[in-house]
Amino acid sequence: MGCGVSKSSQFNRNSRKAVTTIRAAILIQRWYRQYVARTEMRRRYTWHIFQSIEYSGEQAQIKLYNFLGYLMDNFTPSSSERNLISHIFREHEVCLDAEWERYFCYKNIEVPEVYSGPHLTFPLTVEQAVGLLEAFRNKKQLHSRYVLQLLLETWKLLRMFPNINRISTCQSKEITICGDLHGQLEDLLLIFYKNGVPSLERPYVFNGDFVDRGKDSIEILLILFSFLLVYPCDVYLNRGNHEDHLINLRYGFTKEVLTKYKIHGKRILKLLQKIFSWLPLATVIDQKVLVLHGGISDTTDLSVLPRVDRHNYISALRPPKKRNNSSAGVSVDTDTEDYVWNNSRIYQRRASFSCPKPLGPRDCFQNRSLQDFSGRIKVKMEDELERSRRRESLFQTAVNRSEKDLLSTSTSTDSISSDNAKEEWRLILDLLWSDPMNQDGCVPNEVRGGGCYWGPDVTEDFLSRHNMQLIIRSHECKQEGYEFCHNRKVLTLFSASNYYDVGSNRGAYVKLGPDLVPYVIQYQATSLTRELTARQSIGRTERSALKVLREQLFAHKSDLICAFKKFDPGNTGFLSLNNWASAVESVMHLNLPWRTLFSQLVSKSNNGMVDYHDWFNELAIKGTNTDHIEQSLLETLYRHRSTVETIFRIVDTDNSGFITVEDFRKTWKLLSVYLKMEITDEDISNLAVTIDSNHDGSIDIDEFMEAFRLTDKKSRLERGRSMFMVTTSDLTKMEGDPNV
Amino acid sequence: MAPKKKEEPKPAAPAAPKPPEPERPKTPEFDPSSVTLEFTPEQIEDFKDAFQLFDRTPTNEMKITYGQCGDLIRALGQNPTNAEIMHVLGKPKPEDMQNKMLDFDQFLPIHQHICKAKNRGTFEDFVEGLRVFDKEGNGTVMGAELRHVLATLGEKMREDEVEQLMQNQEDANGCINYEAFVKYIMAS
Repeated sequence: MGCGVSKSSQFNRNSRKAVTTIRAAILIQRWYRQYVARTEMRRRYTWHIFQSIEYSGEQAQIKLYNFLGYLMDNFTPSSSERNLISHIFREHEVCLDAEWERYFCYKNIEVPEVYSGPHLTFPLTVEQAVGLLEAFRNKKQLHSRYVLQLLLETWKLLRMFPNINRISTCQSKEITICGDLHGQLEDLLLIFYKNGVPSLERPYVFNGDFVDRGKDSIEILLILFSFLLVYPCDVYLNRGNHEDHLINLRYGFTKEVLTKYKIHGKRILKLLQKIFSWLPLATVIDQKVLVLHGGISDTTDLSVLPRVDRHNYISALRPPKKRNNSSAGVSVDTDTEDYVWNNSRIYQRRASFSCPKPLGPRDCFQNRSLQDFSGRIKVKMEDELERSRRRESLFQTAVNRSEKDLLSTSTSTDSISSDNAKEEWRLILDLLWSDPMNQDGCVPNEVRGGGCYWGPDVTEDFLSRHNMQLIIRSHECKQEGYEFCHNRKVLTLFSASNYYDVGSNRGAYVKLGPDLVPYVIQYQATSLTRELTARQSIGRTERSALKVLREQLFAHKSDLICAFKKFDPGNTGFLSLNNWASAVESVMHLNLPWRTLFSQLVSKSNNGMVDYHDWFNELAIKGTNTDHIEQSLLETLYRHRSTVETIFRIVDTDNSGFITVEDFRKTWKLLSVYLKMEITDEDISNLAVTIDSNHDGSIDIDEFMEAFRLTDKKSRLERGRSMFMVTTSDLTKMEGDPNV
Repeated sequence: MAPKKKEEPKPAAPAAPKPPEPERPKTPEFDPSSVTLEFTPEQIEDFKDAFQLFDRTPTNEMKITYGQCGDLIRALGQNPTNAEIMHVLGKPKPEDMQNKMLDFDQFLPIHQHICKAKNRGTFEDFVEGLRVFDKEGNGTVMGAELRHVLATLGEKMREDEVEQLMQNQEDANGCINYEAFVKYIMAS
C-alpha cells in the first residue's frame, strides 16, 4: 500500500535525519569540550603567573625588612642613616597611655559645615553603623575627627579581648565567617547584602587581611570596627599578615590613608598600628573549629597562645634570629645578609643597641642593665647580632614586667627569656603566614618568606591534640573562593573576588551552625563581570597576567641576555624554543610553563628559533622619558620598583608623601647596598632630574615612582584567537570529569 | 500491505563512519603497548609542560588522574568524544576517574592513539549537521532547538554547559546563523 511504503521511506528519511542530527550533536559536543579544556589550561597558567609574582613580592618585603633590621643593629645611634629608618623599629615605645591619648586626640579637629559625610556620636548605635555602610556605598569619606574617635574606641575595646576569641553556636545561631577582603568594598557590601549585616542574631567572624591592594581598605576597617563596637559579642576579628604596617608600606594601605587623609593620616596610621597589634590572633567555635588567618605548624600549641602579649608584635616581621636552616618556621634571609656581612666596609661593627632610649621612668634602669651586657660583648659578628637581638627581646618583655622581676631574671634567665621570645615570635608568624601543603611534614615557607608549609599529618596531630575537628583559614586566593584540603579538615576561605583581575576568581563566605558543618556561599562582585561576556572574561585576566609577566621579563633584560648567550656560544643571536625556556626559567625562577606561554610571549620565530635580541624590542615596554639614566640602573629600578617605593615611604618619617633631597641621596646610598649596585652621585642627580619637583628641596614620592611606571606600547593579545574564547564565571572544575 | 519494519537504529551506534563513534562491545580493548609513538622531542616537551599544569600531586610527581586525562588531551588540541577517552583508558569505573593515576609515560600512547584518529570533523561536517535543523533553509537554526539537541542527544551536555556555549549567539528572534556559529566554535 502506498501509505505503508511512504511510511517506510519516511521512516528511513527520519532515521537518516536522526543519525545526522546525532552526529552533528556529537561533533559540537566534542569541540565544546575541547574548548573548555583549553580554557582551563589558560586559566591555570594565568593563575600561576599572578600567584608567583604575588608571593615573590611578599618574600621581597620580608627580605627588605630583614636587611633593614640588620642595619639597625649595626649602626651607632647617631648615624644619620639609622635615623632614616629607626622609627619603623620603634616597637617598644614606653609611652604612657595618657600620652598616647593626647597624641590621638581628635577633639580639636573641627568638622567643617560643608562636610557631607556621616556624623558619628558615641556610643555608636546600629543605625549609625548601617548609616556608615550606606555612606561608603555612596562614596562618601568619613571625616578624620570621627575616624580617630572611632579608632580610639576600637583600641580601647580590643585591649580587653583575649588572644583567642571563643564563641559558641548555642541558641541555634549560625556564625558567618569571611576570609580576606583586601580593601575590596564591593565584596563586603555584597556579603552584607546577601547575608545581612552583623547583629545579635547574626554573628560574624572576619579572618584577617582587611587591608592592602584594594582601594577601600580604610572604609572596610571603619565598617568592621563600627559593627564591632555595636556588637562586641557578635563580631570577631582575627589578625591577618596584612594587619602590619610594614606590609602596608608596600601593598598600598599606607598610601591610601595618606592620600585620603592628608592632614591627619599619620596619626591615623599610628593608631592603626596599635589596633592591629591588639587584634586577636584566632577564634575558636564551640571548642571544635579553629578560625585563623594563616595556619599552623608542628609546634603550634593553643595552650601557649593565651599567655603571649600579642600587642608587643606590632609587626610580625621581627628580625630573624641567628640563621638556622633546620628549624621550621624561622624566616631566613640569605643573600642580602651574606652580602652585607661580607662587605662590611661601610658598616663597621659597633657595640650598638638596637633600641633607642625609651621615655619614662624606666629609662635609667634600662641603661644600667644594658650596660651590664655591654662589657661582655664579643668580637664575632654573629654573636653580636645575636646579643643585640636578645637585648631587644629582653627589653621587650621587660616593658611589661616589674623592675624587680627583671633584676632577678636578667642574668640567670637571659637565655630563657630570649628563647621564650623566639618561640612566641615563631608562634605568631606561623599563625599569620603559613600555608597548607599536600605532603606530610612541616617545612619553612620560603616562597612567602615567613611561616611554614604544613602537611596533613600536622593537621591530624593538631586536631587530635586539641580535640578539634576543623581548621578554617584564609591567606591564599582560591579560584572558587574556597578550597578544602587535608581530607576536608582544612578549609581555605577567600572573600575578595576578582582579586588578581576582573573575572579571576570568586569570593566565598561560610555559614556554620551548631552541627559545625561548613556551608559555603560563593559570589563574584562587580557588575562589570556580568556585563563581560564569558568570552571576554578569561581573555582579560590572561592579558593582564601576561602584561605583568612581560614587565618582569623586561626588568630582567640583562640577566636574560646573559643566560641566552650561555645557550648560544656561537653568538648567532638565535635560540631554540627549548633553550629559550630553560634560560628564562633560570633567571626568573617563577616555575611557570614557559613553553606553553611561548606563543603568547614571542610572536616571531623562524623555524622554532627565537631571535632573542629582537624579542626585547618586541616586548615593547617603555618607561617615560628616562633616556638620561644609565641602562643598568634603570633596569634595577624597574625590577625593584616596589622595594624602592617602600624604602621611600619608610624614609618619609612624617608620612607627608615628600622627602627632602638630602634624604633622597641618603636613601640611594642605602639602596645601593641592598640592591647590590653601584650608584654614583651623578647617577643620583640624573634621577633627581627625572622628577618634576615643584617644591624646593623636596621630592614627591608618587611623582618619582610615576616616572618609572612601565607602559605596554602595543596591546599584544588583540588577536582573533583570544577574542573567541568563551567561558563563564560558572565554569566548573575539570577534575571530577563531569562528562562521565 | 504490512509495512516492512526496519530495525530502528540505536542513537548511539549509527552505521556512518565519519565522526568517531563510541566503540561497540565487541571491539578489543585498547593496548597501549601496541601504539608506536611518533611524536617529535619538541612535541613531547610541549606535552610535558601541559602535563605539569594539570599535575596536582603534592610533590609534582608528574601524575594526573584518569578524570583529567580527557581534559589534557583536549587542551593539547584534540577533540575526542568521551567514549573514545573511556576506551583508551580501558573503560574505567566511575570511582577510578578520581582515584587512578596516570604518569607521563602512560599518557603518551593514549595521546598518540587519539592523535592518530583522523576524524576531527571538518567545517562541512558541522554545517551539514546543523543544516538538519534549518527548517526554512535560510542559514539559521532555532537556538532553542539546538540547545535541546545538545542537552538530550549524543554525549549530552549539561544545561550550564549549553548555556556557556550558546551565550550571545542568538539574535533577537532566538535564531543562530550556523555557519558563523561553526566558525566560532572551530576558532578555538
